[in-house]
Amino acid sequence: MEKILSEFGVQPVLLAAQVVNFLILLFILKKFLYGPILKVLQKRKDVIAESLRNAEEIEKKLKVANEEADKIIAKALEEAKKILDDSNKTGAQILADTNTAAEEILQKAKEESSKFIEFERIKLNQEVRENIGRLVFVAFEKITGKILTEEDKKKLTEKSLKNLS
Amino acid sequence: MEHGIVLKPEVLGYIGFLPVTNTLLVSWIVMFILLVVSIFATWRLKLVPSGLQNFMEMIIEGGYNIVSDIAGNRTKVFFPFVFTFFLYIIFANWIGLLPGFTTITFHGEPILRSMSSDLNMTLGLALLSAVVTHIFAIKYLGLWDYLKRWVSFNPIFLFVGVLEIVAEFTKLLSLSFRLFGNIFAGEVVLATIAGIFAFVLPLPFYFLEIVVGFVQAAVFMMLTLVFMVLLTEKHEAEH
Repeated sequence: MEKILSEFGVQPVLLAAQVVNFLILLFILKKFLYGPILKVLQKRKDVIAESLRNAEEIEKKLKVANEEADKIIAKALEEAKKILDDSNKTGAQILADTNTAAEEILQKAKEESSKFIEFERIKLNQEVRENIGRLVFVAFEKITGKILTEEDKKKLTEKSLKNLS
Repeated sequence: MEHGIVLKPEVLGYIGFLPVTNTLLVSWIVMFILLVVSIFATWRLKLVPSGLQNFMEMIIEGGYNIVSDIAGNRTKVFFPFVFTFFLYIIFANWIGLLPGFTTITFHGEPILRSMSSDLNMTLGLALLSAVVTHIFAIKYLGLWDYLKRWVSFNPIFLFVGVLEIVAEFTKLLSLSFRLFGNIFAGEVVLATIAGIFAFVLPLPFYFLEIVVGFVQAAVFMMLTLVFMVLLTEKHEAEH
Protein backbone atom coordinates (compact mmCIF):
# COMPACT_ATOMS: atom_id res chain seq x y z
CA MET A 1 0.00 0.00 0.00
CA GLU A 2 2.68 2.41 1.06
CA LYS A 3 4.70 1.48 -1.97
CA ILE A 4 1.81 1.98 -4.34
CA LEU A 5 1.03 5.36 -2.86
CA SER A 6 4.62 6.52 -3.08
CA GLU A 7 4.78 5.26 -6.64
CA PHE A 8 1.85 7.51 -7.49
CA GLY A 9 3.54 10.34 -5.65
CA VAL A 10 0.75 10.68 -3.10
CA GLN A 11 1.64 13.03 -0.31
CA PRO A 12 -0.75 13.94 2.51
CA VAL A 13 0.15 17.59 2.22
CA LEU A 14 -0.87 17.61 -1.44
CA LEU A 15 -4.16 15.87 -0.61
CA ALA A 16 -4.78 18.53 2.00
CA ALA A 17 -3.86 21.22 -0.53
CA GLN A 18 -6.42 19.87 -2.94
CA VAL A 19 -9.07 19.69 -0.21
CA VAL A 20 -8.35 23.31 0.68
CA ASN A 21 -8.47 24.22 -3.00
CA PHE A 22 -11.86 22.65 -3.33
CA LEU A 23 -13.25 24.33 -0.23
CA ILE A 24 -12.02 27.72 -1.41
CA LEU A 25 -13.54 27.09 -4.82
CA LEU A 26 -16.78 25.98 -3.21
CA PHE A 27 -16.92 29.22 -1.24
CA ILE A 28 -16.11 31.32 -4.29
CA LEU A 29 -18.64 29.63 -6.55
CA LYS A 30 -21.34 29.68 -3.90
CA LYS A 31 -20.83 33.37 -3.33
CA PHE A 32 -20.30 34.56 -6.89
CA LEU A 33 -22.04 32.04 -9.09
CA TYR A 34 -24.69 29.76 -7.58
CA GLY A 35 -26.15 32.24 -5.14
CA PRO A 36 -26.68 35.18 -7.48
CA ILE A 37 -27.72 33.09 -10.46
CA LEU A 38 -30.17 30.87 -8.58
CA LYS A 39 -31.60 34.00 -7.00
CA VAL A 40 -32.04 35.70 -10.35
CA LEU A 41 -33.62 32.54 -11.79
CA GLN A 42 -36.11 32.45 -8.93
CA LYS A 43 -36.80 36.14 -9.34
CA ARG A 44 -37.42 35.72 -13.05
CA LYS A 45 -39.77 32.84 -12.33
CA ASP A 46 -41.71 35.04 -9.91
CA VAL A 47 -41.83 37.90 -12.38
CA ILE A 48 -43.09 35.66 -15.14
CA ALA A 49 -45.73 34.14 -12.90
CA GLU A 50 -46.83 37.57 -11.79
CA SER A 51 -46.99 38.95 -15.30
CA LEU A 52 -49.02 35.95 -16.39
CA ARG A 53 -51.40 36.55 -13.53
CA ASN A 54 -51.57 40.22 -14.47
CA ALA A 55 -52.30 39.36 -18.07
CA GLU A 56 -55.13 37.11 -16.98
CA GLU A 57 -56.56 39.84 -14.80
CA ILE A 58 -56.28 42.35 -17.60
CA GLU A 59 -58.07 39.99 -19.93
CA LYS A 60 -60.82 39.54 -17.37
CA LYS A 61 -61.13 43.29 -16.95
CA LEU A 62 -61.19 43.75 -20.69
CA LYS A 63 -64.02 41.26 -20.94
CA VAL A 64 -66.02 43.07 -18.28
CA ALA A 65 -65.33 46.40 -19.94
CA ASN A 66 -66.42 45.03 -23.30
CA GLU A 67 -69.61 43.71 -21.81
CA GLU A 68 -70.27 47.06 -20.18
CA ALA A 69 -69.59 48.88 -23.41
CA ASP A 70 -72.01 46.57 -25.21
CA LYS A 71 -74.61 47.28 -22.57
CA ILE A 72 -74.09 51.02 -22.83
CA ILE A 73 -74.34 50.89 -26.60
CA ALA A 74 -77.54 48.88 -26.43
CA LYS A 75 -78.98 51.36 -23.97
CA ALA A 76 -77.96 54.29 -26.14
CA LEU A 77 -79.55 52.66 -29.17
CA GLU A 78 -82.76 52.14 -27.27
CA GLU A 79 -82.76 55.73 -26.13
CA ALA A 80 -82.05 56.99 -29.61
CA LYS A 81 -84.93 54.93 -30.91
CA LYS A 82 -87.19 56.33 -28.25
CA ILE A 83 -86.14 59.87 -29.04
CA LEU A 84 -86.72 59.25 -32.73
CA ASP A 85 -90.18 57.83 -32.03
CA ASP A 86 -91.02 60.76 -29.82
CA SER A 87 -89.87 63.26 -32.35
CA ASN A 88 -91.83 61.47 -35.05
CA LYS A 89 -94.90 61.59 -32.92
CA THR A 90 -94.50 65.25 -32.03
CA GLY A 91 -93.75 66.03 -35.64
CA ALA A 92 -96.97 64.36 -36.69
CA GLN A 93 -98.80 66.21 -33.94
CA ILE A 94 -97.39 69.53 -35.06
CA LEU A 95 -98.30 68.75 -38.64
CA ALA A 96 -101.80 67.87 -37.65
CA ASP A 97 -102.10 71.00 -35.53
CA THR A 98 -100.91 73.21 -38.33
CA ASN A 99 -103.30 71.51 -40.69
CA THR A 100 -106.26 72.18 -38.46
CA ALA A 101 -105.06 75.71 -37.87
CA ALA A 102 -104.72 76.25 -41.59
CA GLU A 103 -108.17 74.81 -42.13
CA GLU A 104 -109.58 77.11 -39.52
CA ILE A 105 -107.89 80.07 -41.09
CA LEU A 106 -109.20 79.01 -44.47
CA GLN A 107 -112.67 78.59 -43.06
CA LYS A 108 -112.51 81.97 -41.47
CA ALA A 109 -111.27 83.52 -44.68
CA LYS A 110 -114.10 81.85 -46.56
CA GLU A 111 -116.66 83.17 -44.14
CA GLU A 112 -115.18 86.63 -44.26
CA SER A 113 -115.15 86.63 -48.00
CA SER A 114 -118.75 85.39 -48.25
CA LYS A 115 -119.77 88.05 -45.78
CA PHE A 116 -118.01 90.64 -47.87
CA ILE A 117 -119.65 89.37 -51.02
CA GLU A 118 -123.04 89.50 -49.34
CA PHE A 119 -122.40 93.02 -48.23
CA GLU A 120 -121.34 94.03 -51.69
CA ARG A 121 -124.39 92.43 -53.15
CA ILE A 122 -126.70 94.29 -50.79
CA LYS A 123 -124.91 97.49 -51.55
CA LEU A 124 -125.26 96.84 -55.26
CA ASN A 125 -128.89 96.02 -54.82
CA GLN A 126 -129.45 99.28 -53.08
CA GLU A 127 -127.62 101.17 -55.73
CA VAL A 128 -129.58 99.40 -58.42
CA ARG A 129 -132.80 100.22 -56.66
CA GLU A 130 -131.83 103.83 -56.31
CA ASN A 131 -130.87 104.01 -59.92
CA ILE A 132 -134.04 102.29 -61.04
CA GLY A 133 -136.05 104.64 -58.92
CA ARG A 134 -134.40 107.62 -60.49
CA LEU A 135 -134.88 106.09 -63.88
CA VAL A 136 -138.55 105.59 -63.14
CA PHE A 137 -138.87 109.21 -62.05
CA VAL A 138 -137.13 110.49 -65.11
CA ALA A 139 -139.23 108.28 -67.33
CA PHE A 140 -142.40 109.27 -65.54
CA GLU A 141 -141.54 112.95 -65.84
CA LYS A 142 -140.79 112.56 -69.49
CA ILE A 143 -143.97 110.69 -70.14
CA THR A 144 -146.27 112.75 -67.97
CA GLY A 145 -144.40 116.06 -68.25
CA LYS A 146 -145.12 116.72 -64.67
CA ILE A 147 -142.49 117.53 -62.12
CA LEU A 148 -142.70 115.22 -59.24
CA THR A 149 -142.82 116.41 -55.71
CA GLU A 150 -141.13 114.69 -52.94
CA GLU A 151 -144.29 113.00 -51.91
CA ASP A 152 -144.90 111.67 -55.35
CA LYS A 153 -141.45 110.39 -55.55
CA LYS A 154 -141.90 108.45 -52.39
CA LYS A 155 -145.17 106.95 -53.52
CA LEU A 156 -143.79 106.09 -56.85
CA THR A 157 -140.72 104.49 -55.44
CA GLU A 158 -142.68 102.37 -53.10
CA LYS A 159 -144.98 101.34 -55.86
CA SER A 160 -142.30 100.41 -58.29
CA LEU A 161 -140.35 98.60 -55.60
CA LYS A 162 -143.46 96.60 -54.87
CA ASN A 163 -143.65 95.72 -58.48
CA LEU A 164 -140.05 94.87 -58.70
CA SER A 165 -139.93 92.55 -55.76
CA MET B 1 9.30 13.56 -26.14
CA GLU B 2 9.27 10.47 -23.98
CA HIS B 3 8.13 11.89 -20.69
CA GLY B 4 4.42 11.13 -20.82
CA ILE B 5 4.54 8.07 -18.63
CA VAL B 6 5.44 9.55 -15.30
CA LEU B 7 2.99 8.82 -12.53
CA LYS B 8 4.33 11.31 -10.05
CA PRO B 9 3.65 14.99 -10.56
CA GLU B 10 6.76 17.05 -10.99
CA VAL B 11 7.63 19.37 -8.12
CA LEU B 12 8.40 22.90 -9.33
CA GLY B 13 9.34 24.40 -6.02
CA TYR B 14 8.36 24.75 -2.40
CA ILE B 15 6.22 27.27 -0.54
CA GLY B 16 7.25 26.59 3.04
CA PHE B 17 6.65 22.86 3.51
CA LEU B 18 4.19 22.69 0.59
CA PRO B 19 5.64 21.18 -2.54
CA VAL B 20 4.16 23.11 -5.46
CA THR B 21 3.67 20.52 -8.16
CA ASN B 22 2.73 21.36 -11.72
CA THR B 23 -0.71 19.86 -11.13
CA LEU B 24 -1.26 21.99 -8.05
CA LEU B 25 -0.28 25.04 -10.08
CA VAL B 26 -2.85 24.09 -12.71
CA SER B 27 -5.51 23.62 -10.04
CA TRP B 28 -4.83 27.16 -8.86
CA ILE B 29 -5.08 28.44 -12.42
CA VAL B 30 -8.40 26.65 -12.82
CA MET B 31 -9.67 28.16 -9.59
CA PHE B 32 -8.60 31.59 -10.73
CA ILE B 33 -10.33 31.19 -14.09
CA LEU B 34 -13.51 29.97 -12.42
CA LEU B 35 -13.39 32.93 -10.06
CA VAL B 36 -13.00 35.37 -12.94
CA VAL B 37 -15.76 33.72 -14.96
CA SER B 38 -18.12 33.74 -11.97
CA ILE B 39 -17.48 37.38 -11.23
CA PHE B 40 -17.94 38.37 -14.86
CA ALA B 41 -21.08 36.28 -15.20
CA THR B 42 -22.70 37.84 -12.16
CA TRP B 43 -21.14 41.30 -12.39
CA ARG B 44 -24.37 43.09 -13.18
CA LEU B 45 -27.13 40.55 -12.95
CA LYS B 46 -30.03 41.44 -15.17
CA LEU B 47 -33.49 40.00 -15.17
CA VAL B 48 -33.21 39.79 -18.93
CA PRO B 49 -29.90 38.00 -19.29
CA SER B 50 -27.39 38.20 -22.08
CA GLY B 51 -23.94 36.94 -22.95
CA LEU B 52 -21.99 35.20 -20.22
CA GLN B 53 -24.77 35.51 -17.68
CA ASN B 54 -27.12 33.74 -20.04
CA PHE B 55 -24.62 30.98 -20.67
CA MET B 56 -23.84 30.38 -17.01
CA GLU B 57 -27.54 30.50 -16.15
CA MET B 58 -28.15 27.80 -18.72
CA ILE B 59 -25.43 25.59 -17.24
CA ILE B 60 -26.44 26.15 -13.65
CA GLU B 61 -30.14 25.74 -14.28
CA GLY B 62 -29.47 22.50 -16.17
CA GLY B 63 -27.27 21.23 -13.35
CA TYR B 64 -29.77 22.30 -10.74
CA ASN B 65 -32.58 20.47 -12.49
CA ILE B 66 -30.53 17.30 -12.77
CA VAL B 67 -29.57 17.46 -9.10
CA SER B 68 -33.12 18.20 -8.00
CA ASP B 69 -34.42 15.24 -9.99
CA ILE B 70 -32.25 12.97 -7.87
CA ALA B 71 -31.90 14.78 -4.56
CA GLY B 72 -35.44 16.12 -4.21
CA ASN B 73 -35.80 18.29 -1.13
CA ARG B 74 -32.06 18.11 -0.31
CA THR B 75 -31.08 19.82 -3.58
CA LYS B 76 -30.27 23.15 -1.97
CA VAL B 77 -27.61 21.59 0.25
CA PHE B 78 -26.16 19.07 -2.20
CA PHE B 79 -26.12 21.20 -5.29
CA PRO B 80 -23.20 23.53 -4.45
CA PHE B 81 -20.96 20.59 -3.57
CA VAL B 82 -21.65 18.31 -6.49
CA PHE B 83 -21.75 21.11 -9.02
CA THR B 84 -18.47 22.51 -7.77
CA PHE B 85 -16.99 19.05 -8.32
CA PHE B 86 -18.36 19.13 -11.84
CA LEU B 87 -17.13 22.61 -12.74
CA TYR B 88 -13.74 22.11 -11.13
CA ILE B 89 -13.06 18.79 -12.84
CA ILE B 90 -14.41 19.72 -16.26
CA PHE B 91 -12.46 22.98 -16.37
CA ALA B 92 -9.32 21.19 -15.20
CA ASN B 93 -9.76 18.43 -17.79
CA TRP B 94 -10.38 20.76 -20.69
CA ILE B 95 -7.67 23.19 -19.74
CA GLY B 96 -5.27 20.24 -19.74
CA LEU B 97 -5.92 19.83 -23.45
CA LEU B 98 -4.61 23.27 -24.30
CA PRO B 99 -1.28 23.49 -26.07
CA GLY B 100 1.64 24.10 -23.74
CA PHE B 101 0.61 21.47 -21.23
CA THR B 102 3.46 19.04 -20.58
CA THR B 103 5.45 20.67 -23.38
CA ILE B 104 6.63 23.91 -21.79
CA THR B 105 9.39 23.00 -19.38
CA PHE B 106 11.18 24.77 -16.57
CA HIS B 107 14.50 23.34 -15.39
CA GLY B 108 13.64 20.20 -17.30
CA GLU B 109 10.20 19.80 -15.69
CA PRO B 110 6.90 20.60 -17.43
CA ILE B 111 5.30 23.63 -15.79
CA LEU B 112 1.74 22.66 -16.62
CA ARG B 113 0.17 19.24 -16.30
CA SER B 114 -3.48 18.28 -16.39
CA MET B 115 -4.73 18.34 -12.81
CA SER B 116 -6.48 14.98 -12.87
CA SER B 117 -3.39 13.19 -14.14
CA ASP B 118 -2.09 13.36 -10.57
CA LEU B 119 -3.54 10.91 -8.05
CA ASN B 120 -3.04 13.46 -5.27
CA MET B 121 -5.62 15.73 -6.83
CA THR B 122 -8.23 13.09 -7.60
CA LEU B 123 -7.76 11.29 -4.30
CA GLY B 124 -8.13 14.61 -2.52
CA LEU B 125 -11.43 15.22 -4.26
CA ALA B 126 -12.62 11.66 -3.59
CA LEU B 127 -11.71 11.92 0.10
CA LEU B 128 -13.55 15.19 0.39
CA SER B 129 -16.54 13.74 -1.45
CA ALA B 130 -16.66 10.80 0.98
CA VAL B 131 -16.20 12.90 4.10
CA VAL B 132 -18.83 15.42 3.05
CA THR B 133 -21.21 12.60 2.21
CA HIS B 134 -20.84 11.16 5.69
CA ILE B 135 -21.24 14.56 7.29
CA PHE B 136 -24.49 15.01 5.39
CA ALA B 137 -25.59 11.55 6.44
CA ILE B 138 -25.08 12.42 10.12
CA LYS B 139 -26.80 15.74 9.58
CA TYR B 140 -29.90 14.24 7.98
CA LEU B 141 -30.16 10.95 9.91
CA GLY B 142 -28.78 11.89 13.29
CA LEU B 143 -25.77 10.15 14.79
CA TRP B 144 -27.67 7.10 16.05
CA ASP B 145 -29.39 6.24 12.77
CA TYR B 146 -26.14 6.87 10.98
CA LEU B 147 -24.23 4.40 13.15
CA LYS B 148 -26.98 1.80 12.84
CA ARG B 149 -26.03 1.48 9.20
CA TRP B 150 -22.59 0.16 10.04
CA VAL B 151 -22.98 -1.55 13.38
CA SER B 152 -25.75 -3.88 14.41
CA PHE B 153 -26.38 -6.51 17.13
CA ASN B 154 -27.88 -8.80 14.56
CA PRO B 155 -24.91 -10.84 13.24
CA ILE B 156 -26.20 -10.81 9.68
CA PHE B 157 -26.61 -7.05 9.66
CA LEU B 158 -23.28 -6.69 11.39
CA PHE B 159 -21.74 -8.51 8.49
CA VAL B 160 -23.62 -6.34 6.05
CA GLY B 161 -22.34 -3.31 7.96
CA VAL B 162 -18.77 -4.50 7.57
CA LEU B 163 -19.37 -4.97 3.87
CA GLU B 164 -20.74 -1.45 3.67
CA ILE B 165 -17.64 -0.08 5.36
CA VAL B 166 -15.49 -1.89 2.83
CA ALA B 167 -17.72 -0.49 0.08
CA GLU B 168 -17.03 3.01 1.33
CA PHE B 169 -13.31 2.49 0.76
CA THR B 170 -14.00 1.00 -2.63
CA LYS B 171 -15.95 4.10 -3.53
CA LEU B 172 -12.98 6.18 -2.57
CA LEU B 173 -10.66 4.13 -4.73
CA SER B 174 -13.02 3.90 -7.68
CA LEU B 175 -13.78 7.62 -7.69
CA SER B 176 -10.14 8.66 -7.52
CA PHE B 177 -8.67 6.04 -9.83
CA ARG B 178 -11.37 6.36 -12.46
CA LEU B 179 -10.77 10.05 -12.90
CA PHE B 180 -7.01 9.74 -12.60
CA GLY B 181 -6.81 6.76 -14.95
CA ASN B 182 -8.93 8.32 -17.67
CA ILE B 183 -7.13 11.63 -17.76
CA PHE B 184 -3.68 10.19 -17.29
CA ALA B 185 -4.29 7.68 -20.06
CA GLY B 186 -5.56 10.49 -22.23
CA GLU B 187 -2.38 12.45 -21.63
CA VAL B 188 -0.27 9.44 -22.50
CA VAL B 189 -2.28 8.73 -25.63
CA LEU B 190 -2.05 12.33 -26.80
CA ALA B 191 1.70 12.45 -26.13
CA THR B 192 2.25 9.17 -27.94
CA ILE B 193 0.16 10.12 -30.97
CA ALA B 194 1.83 13.53 -31.15
CA GLY B 195 5.16 11.69 -30.95
CA ILE B 196 4.20 9.56 -33.97
CA PHE B 197 2.91 12.41 -36.12
CA ALA B 198 2.11 15.81 -34.69
CA PHE B 199 -0.07 17.21 -37.52
CA VAL B 200 -3.81 16.47 -37.86
CA LEU B 201 -3.39 12.91 -36.54
CA PRO B 202 -3.97 13.83 -32.84
CA LEU B 203 -7.18 15.75 -33.68
CA PRO B 204 -9.62 12.84 -33.28
CA PHE B 205 -7.95 12.00 -30.00
CA TYR B 206 -8.41 15.57 -28.86
CA PHE B 207 -12.10 15.30 -29.62
CA LEU B 208 -12.16 12.06 -27.69
CA GLU B 209 -10.43 13.71 -24.74
CA ILE B 210 -12.95 16.57 -24.77
CA VAL B 211 -15.72 14.01 -24.46
CA VAL B 212 -13.82 12.05 -21.82
CA GLY B 213 -13.18 15.22 -19.83
CA PHE B 214 -16.90 16.00 -19.78
CA VAL B 215 -17.94 12.44 -19.04
CA GLN B 216 -15.50 12.03 -16.17
CA ALA B 217 -16.61 15.30 -14.59
CA ALA B 218 -20.25 14.28 -14.97
CA VAL B 219 -19.56 10.81 -13.57
CA PHE B 220 -17.75 12.19 -10.55
CA MET B 221 -20.59 14.61 -9.91
CA MET B 222 -23.36 12.06 -10.39
CA LEU B 223 -21.69 9.40 -8.27
CA THR B 224 -21.06 11.84 -5.45
CA LEU B 225 -24.67 12.95 -5.69
CA VAL B 226 -25.98 9.40 -5.68
CA PHE B 227 -23.82 8.46 -2.70
CA MET B 228 -25.06 11.52 -0.84
CA VAL B 229 -28.68 10.70 -1.60
CA LEU B 230 -28.26 7.03 -0.68
CA LEU B 231 -26.49 7.69 2.59
CA THR B 232 -28.88 10.41 3.72
CA GLU B 233 -31.93 8.26 3.10
CA LYS B 234 -33.43 6.36 6.02
CA HIS B 235 -33.07 2.72 5.13
CA GLU B 236 -35.89 0.43 6.06
CA ALA B 237 -34.04 -2.88 5.68
CA GLU B 238 -33.82 -3.45 9.42
CA HIS B 239 -37.55 -3.81 10.02
